[in-house]
Amino acid sequence: MTQTTSFDAFTMWKNVYEKTESTWRDAIQDTLGKESFAESLGQIQSQYLQYQGFLNKITESYLKQANMPSRDEIANIASLVINVESKMDDLEDQMDVNKFDTSKEIEQLKKGLNNLDKKLDKVIELLANSLVSQNTPKVTAGPIITAATNSTNAATNAATSATSAANAKK
Amino acid sequence: MVTLDTKQFDNWIDRLSEDKNIQQIKRLTEVISSDAEPEVGQTPKEVIWTKNKTKLYRYQPAIKKTNKVPILMIYALINKPYILDLYPGNSLIEHLTNKGHDVYLLDWGTPGHEDRHMKLDDYIMDYIPRAVNKVLKTSKAKDITLLGYCMGGTMTAIFTSLYPQLPIRNLILMTSPIDFKDAGLYSNWLDKRYFQLDKMVDTLGNIPFEVIDFGNKMLSPISNVVGPYVSLADRVENENFVLNWKLMQKWLNDGIPFPGESYRQWIRDFYQDNKLINDQLVIRGRKVELANIKANLLNISATRDNIALPHQIAPLNDKVSSKNKTLHTVDTGHVSVVTGRKAINEIHPYIEKWITENSK
Repeated sequence: MTQTTSFDAFTMWKNVYEKTESTWRDAIQDTLGKESFAESLGQIQSQYLQYQGFLNKITESYLKQANMPSRDEIANIASLVINVESKMDDLEDQMDVNKFDTSKEIEQLKKGLNNLDKKLDKVIELLANSLVSQNTPKVTAGPIITAATNSTNAATNAATSATSAANAKK
Repeated sequence: MVTLDTKQFDNWIDRLSEDKNIQQIKRLTEVISSDAEPEVGQTPKEVIWTKNKTKLYRYQPAIKKTNKVPILMIYALINKPYILDLYPGNSLIEHLTNKGHDVYLLDWGTPGHEDRHMKLDDYIMDYIPRAVNKVLKTSKAKDITLLGYCMGGTMTAIFTSLYPQLPIRNLILMTSPIDFKDAGLYSNWLDKRYFQLDKMVDTLGNIPFEVIDFGNKMLSPISNVVGPYVSLADRVENENFVLNWKLMQKWLNDGIPFPGESYRQWIRDFYQDNKLINDQLVIRGRKVELANIKANLLNISATRDNIALPHQIAPLNDKVSSKNKTLHTVDTGHVSVVTGRKAINEIHPYIEKWITENSK
């Protein structure tokens, strides 16, 4: 009986990884946890930042000579736009607060007007009653109203004639 | 005339294309080099507020909200917003909205050079409070649930302790470091004596994502750099695995710059001076005291997390004044606490259940 076995690169890769990963990991973790590693990292970081800082200065000086805006200058414009937007946001918030207050005030105003309306109705009613009692003897309801109406009409006519006379004088 | 019999060579070439190894290599090359990236962040959303690059999203506004307490999610400054809404069927946001929760997310946007002076103070005192007010106004709710992931959770905890007057009912923190006394390898690398923090921020402005990513990958270089490709080669014929692999790689390699001043503050006040847990942190002149937190607390840590170690997370529960507080430990890594099979089957439902129980 013959048995053929094919070579499987992926299985081999996985096996190698699984068998060696923990050993590698432990060794690397040991190194990463040492103070000397942090010190070396700091040195590399310092050199990189020195190089980057130098590059930043060169670029800025070139842009200045070429009369072109630097990244900081463009960012400043963006900041101005953001500030305006912030103010808009503040205004929106204030409007929300004010809207609430205004609606309360309008409600109070409505109530006040209603009360005033009712009071005026009462005044008119009282006025009408007093006119009726002055001009007509108490007989029946019908003539009283007629008399009151007549006296109101007479007053209106007098007012109209007075206005006409004034206009004629002009 | 000379004739060559190429039949055998042709047969060999034909057999070669059928070889399993060759097919695997071909697919592996496609996945790494030419396949399209998966579309992330697909849950429908609307923008309800913007400020600078920040946007506040409301998810699935058309779905009926059966839970009255809205949830505001806040993630780390170096991630993109889709990490909590990775893919349909693999999204914490989708899971919560489908269960009737009203979910909002604060998207930090990508900082530009003009944002290099933004401090954590600005994000915590100017952005988060307004977002909370907008959420309360939009949802017409009386209380709110805050959910922070990673560094976003640390910021959320600081915010909650600074604003005890706000109606924050629930606080959920996912792998959010609080105690930086022993931050693993970071404590060694960020040693004040060697790490050039000021020079770095002054020179670079915003800290490029690659620098942050380099630090994270160095925590376990072999398993972070070689490991994913070994797993991919082994299971490249499994399309579902390939999709999840691509999603994970997109998450890990698709970050944004860290605003310079925030980075300076994050490294100095947290990693180097460990101020937060010791009540020494000052944000815009106000002392941060974690004991001011009274909201119901769900604090989640992951046993295999090497970015936010479990012992950095647990001490919060001893500091807060909350009567209802839970420390929930899961057997995942830093990313797989939010995405992947375990997150979908166990963690998302656990969070949803906790929120529902504490929102009645």
